[in-house]
Amino acid sequence: MPPKGKAANKPKANERECSPKQQPQQQQQQTSSSPAPAPTPTTIAERSALFTDESRPFESARRKSGIASLPRDAQAACIALRFARLPAPARNRLPPKSQRELWRHVNDASLPIRALKRNYDYGAAGGWSFERYADWAAKRTVLTCLEGASRVFREKRESEKRGGSDPVTGERVVLTQGEIDEERGRRREMAALRKELYGVVTGRLEADPEWDDVVPIPQEEPEGALATISYLGEYAEAISYLRAVMVKKEYSPRCLKLTETIIEMNPAHYTVWLYRAANIFAMKLSIPDEIQWLNEVSLEHLKNYQIWHHRHLLIDNYYPTIADDAEAVAAFGASERQFLQQILAEDTKNYHVWSYRSYLIEKFGLWDVPEELTSIETMIDEDVRNNSAWSHRFFLIFSNPANSTPGVAATEHDPAAPAAVVDREVEYAKEKIALAPQNQSPWNYLRGVLVKGGRKLGSVEDFVQGFITGLGSDGEDVKSSHALDLLAEIYAEKGDKKQAELCLRRLAEKWDRIRAGYWEWRKKCLETA
Amino acid sequence: MSENAANLPEELQLITEAHVKYIQSLDTRKDDYEYWLTEHLRLNGLYWGLTALHILGHPGALPRDETIDFVLSCQHENGGFGAAPGHDAHMLSTVSAVQILAMVDAFDELQARGKGNGRAQVGSYIADLQNRQTGTFAGDEWGEHDTRFLYGALNALSLLGLLHLVDVDKAVEHIAACANFDGGYGSGPGAESHAAQIFTCVAALSIAGRKDLIDIDRLGRWLSERQVGRGGLNGRPEKKEDSCYSWWVLSSLEMIGKTHWIDRDSLVAFILSCQDLQGGGIADRPGDMVDVWHTVFSITGLSLLGYPGLQPVDAVYCLPKSTVQRVLG
Repeated sequence: MPPKGKAANKPKANERECSPKQQPQQQQQQTSSSPAPAPTPTTIAERSALFTDESRPFESARRKSGIASLPRDAQAACIALRFARLPAPARNRLPPKSQRELWRHVNDASLPIRALKRNYDYGAAGGWSFERYADWAAKRTVLTCLEGASRVFREKRESEKRGGSDPVTGERVVLTQGEIDEERGRRREMAALRKELYGVVTGRLEADPEWDDVVPIPQEEPEGALATISYLGEYAEAISYLRAVMVKKEYSPRCLKLTETIIEMNPAHYTVWLYRAANIFAMKLSIPDEIQWLNEVSLEHLKNYQIWHHRHLLIDNYYPTIADDAEAVAAFGASERQFLQQILAEDTKNYHVWSYRSYLIEKFGLWDVPEELTSIETMIDEDVRNNSAWSHRFFLIFSNPANSTPGVAATEHDPAAPAAVVDREVEYAKEKIALAPQNQSPWNYLRGVLVKGGRKLGSVEDFVQGFITGLGSDGEDVKSSHALDLLAEIYAEKGDKKQAELCLRRLAEKWDRIRAGYWEWRKKCLETA
Repeated sequence: MSENAANLPEELQLITEAHVKYIQSLDTRKDDYEYWLTEHLRLNGLYWGLTALHILGHPGALPRDETIDFVLSCQHENGGFGAAPGHDAHMLSTVSAVQILAMVDAFDELQARGKGNGRAQVGSYIADLQNRQTGTFAGDEWGEHDTRFLYGALNALSLLGLLHLVDVDKAVEHIAACANFDGGYGSGPGAESHAAQIFTCVAALSIAGRKDLIDIDRLGRWLSERQVGRGGLNGRPEKKEDSCYSWWVLSSLEMIGKTHWIDRDSLVAFILSCQDLQGGGIADRPGDMVDVWHTVFSITGLSLLGYPGLQPVDAVYCLPKSTVQRVLG
C-alpha cells in the first residue's frame, strides 16, 4: 500500500487525507499544463504515479533548480527527510536530542519517510479502475484461501496413503466421498479463479482429485527436429495423462473415461482407440454396451476410420462367445443391420460402413437373412446410382456359399450359380437400367451377372438395342453410351466386326468423346481379333 | 503437352513456387487446431510433403538432417514406426518412414541409428504383421486386414531389399480374391471396387511380378470410366470427381499401360483449376480448402501426365523415379 502521505486538496481523492505541503509539486505541474488542479487519477497506474510523487516531495523542483531555490521550510523538510531516510545505524550517530527534533519535524510536517519506487509496472492492470482492481484483489484473496484448503486436502490424502492417523483424535485418516466431492468443487472454483485472475488454464484432469496420483508425462520433442508436436491446452493435458497411464498399463474405469474424453476431442487419434480396446478387454466389460456407445460416436464422426477398426476388434472378440447360439447370432446380426441402416442413411456410400457390412455377412453367415436383401433393394430404390449398394448386392448373392463354388473368383463363370438366380438378377438390372439408362452401376452389374451365369452377352441384345435408334444414320439417337458399348461387344461376340466398329466409332466421335483413346484401342482389338 | 494445354489461360499454369512455400509452411502451423488433430498422420504428412517437393524439383526445401531425426524419433523398439513420437507403431507410418528415408538416401542412417539391427528390425516388424494362412497383412498387432497394408508391406520390404521375409505368393493369392465382377479391386474380398484400393492391389501385384493376374481390359475400362464431365476423375461410379484420384486412377492405368485411355488435357485443366492461386496448395475440387494430401496426389498425377517441369514419378512406389532407381538399382 502507498504511504499515507498527505497530498494536496483534490476533489474525489477522498481516500487520501489532505496535505498542505505540496506547493512545489503543484508549481511544477502547472508549468507543464494550464493553471488547473492536478488531474484526478482514474486508473491504478495514474494513482500510483501520484502516490509516488507524493512520497518524494520537492524532488522535481529540487532536481530542476537545486535545493537553494526552495522556500526555507521546504529546504528544512528536505534535510529532515534525508536524515529520516538514512539507515538506522547511520541515523543513530546523531545525538539523541537531534534525533528527537528530527522526528518531531517529520511528524509535524507529515513527511513521507519512505519513497516509492518510480515506474512500477502493473502490466495490463495499470489501466484498470480502482473498483476493478479492488475486485481483482478480493478474488485473489479468495483463491489464496481456497489454495490453503486444497493443500490441507492433499496433505490429508498423502496421510491416508501412508496410513497415517489424526494427531488429535488418533483415528486413522480416511477421506470421505463428501470431502472428495467438496475438493472437486473447490478445484473447479480455483481453476475458474486462476483463469480469471491470471489467464492460466488449469487442466480438467489436474482439477480432478481422481487423477491426483498420476504424474502426467508431457511430450518430449527431439531438439530441433522437423514436424515437432505442439499441443493446445486441454488436449495436451489429456494426452499427457494418457501417456502416464499407458506406461503403467493401467486398465480402469477412469482410463476408459479418459479415452472417451480424448476421442471426443480427436476421434482420429489411433493410439487412444487401441488403448480403449485394451481397457475393455482387460476389465472384461460388456461388448454390447461398448457397441452401443460406439454407435453414437460413429454417427457423430461419419468419415472416421478408427471407429470401424475398433468395431472389428470388438466383434472379433465377441463373436466366439455367441457363435454356438444361433439365436444370439441372429439377434446380433439384426441389431447391427439396424445400426448400419441408420448410419448409411446419413452417408449412403460410406466405404468403411459397406466394407464392414460385407465382413459382417461373412463372419456371421447372414447370407440368407431376407432383410439383408430387402434393405439393399430399398437403398437402390432410393438412389439407383448407389454403386456401393449394387456392389454389396453382387457380393450378397454371388458369394453366398449356396450359390457359389469356393475359390471361383468374382470375375469368373460359376456353374454353382443357380439359373433362376441369374435370371432374376438379369431382370433386376434391366429394370433399374430402364429407370436411368446412363447409370453405370446396373450396366456393370448386368455384365457381372452374365459372366457369373456363363451367359452370352447376346442374350440381352434386344434389351440393349432398345436404347439405340438409327445408328450411323441422320436420326441417330443413343439413350446410353453404356448400351452402345455393350452392343459393340455383342456384335464382336457374333463376329460382326463391321457393326461393332460402327458402334465404337460413334462412341469416340459423339457419345463418349472424352474416352476416345479407349474406343480407338477397342477398334484396334477388333482388327487383330 | 498438346496444343490445347499450351493454350490454357495464364492462371491455369502450375504455380510451383507457391506450392513449395505452402508445403514448407505446413510445419510452422503448430498453433492451428488442425495441426494437432492430424498428429496421427504426421509421418504420412511428411512423406506427402516431401514427395511433392521432390516431384516439383525442390528436394532440398525441407532440411534433410531434421527430417531424418524426426523419422527416427518415431521408431519403436520392435522396429515399427508410429505416426509421431509416442504414437503406437503402425504399418502405414512405417511405410512412410521407409519411403522418406529412401527419398533422402538415409538407409545408412537407419542402419546406424535405428532401433535394434537397423533395416532388418524394420523388416521383421513388417513381416510379423503377415497372416501366414491368408497372406494378408494387418495394420498393427491388433489385426485388421486391408489391401492397403499388404501393398505397404511389399512396398517397404522391397525398398529395404527384404521381400524374402514374407510369403509373397500367399499375398498375391489374397489380392486375386479381392478382384470384383466389374474388374476393380476392393479393400478385401467382396468389398466394393475403389480406385485407391485398386492402386494398392495393382502396385502390390507389380512388386510381386504378377501383373499377369490382372484382367487388364476390364480393369482399364473401369478405370477409364472414372473420368467425368469436367475432366476430373472420381474414385467410384456415380461419385464426384476429386483431384487425388488423378493419382490413384492414373497410376493404376500407367501400371497396366493404359494411361492414354483418358483425356489428358481436360484432366490437366481440372487439376490446375483446383490450385489455391494465392496461398499455394491444391484442393479436391476448385474453390475448396487445400491440403497436403490433395496437393501431392495432384502433383504426382500431373507428373504421370508429363506436365512440363516436373520430375518423373514411379507409378508403383509413388516416389521419384530417381529414388526408386537408386534404391532398387
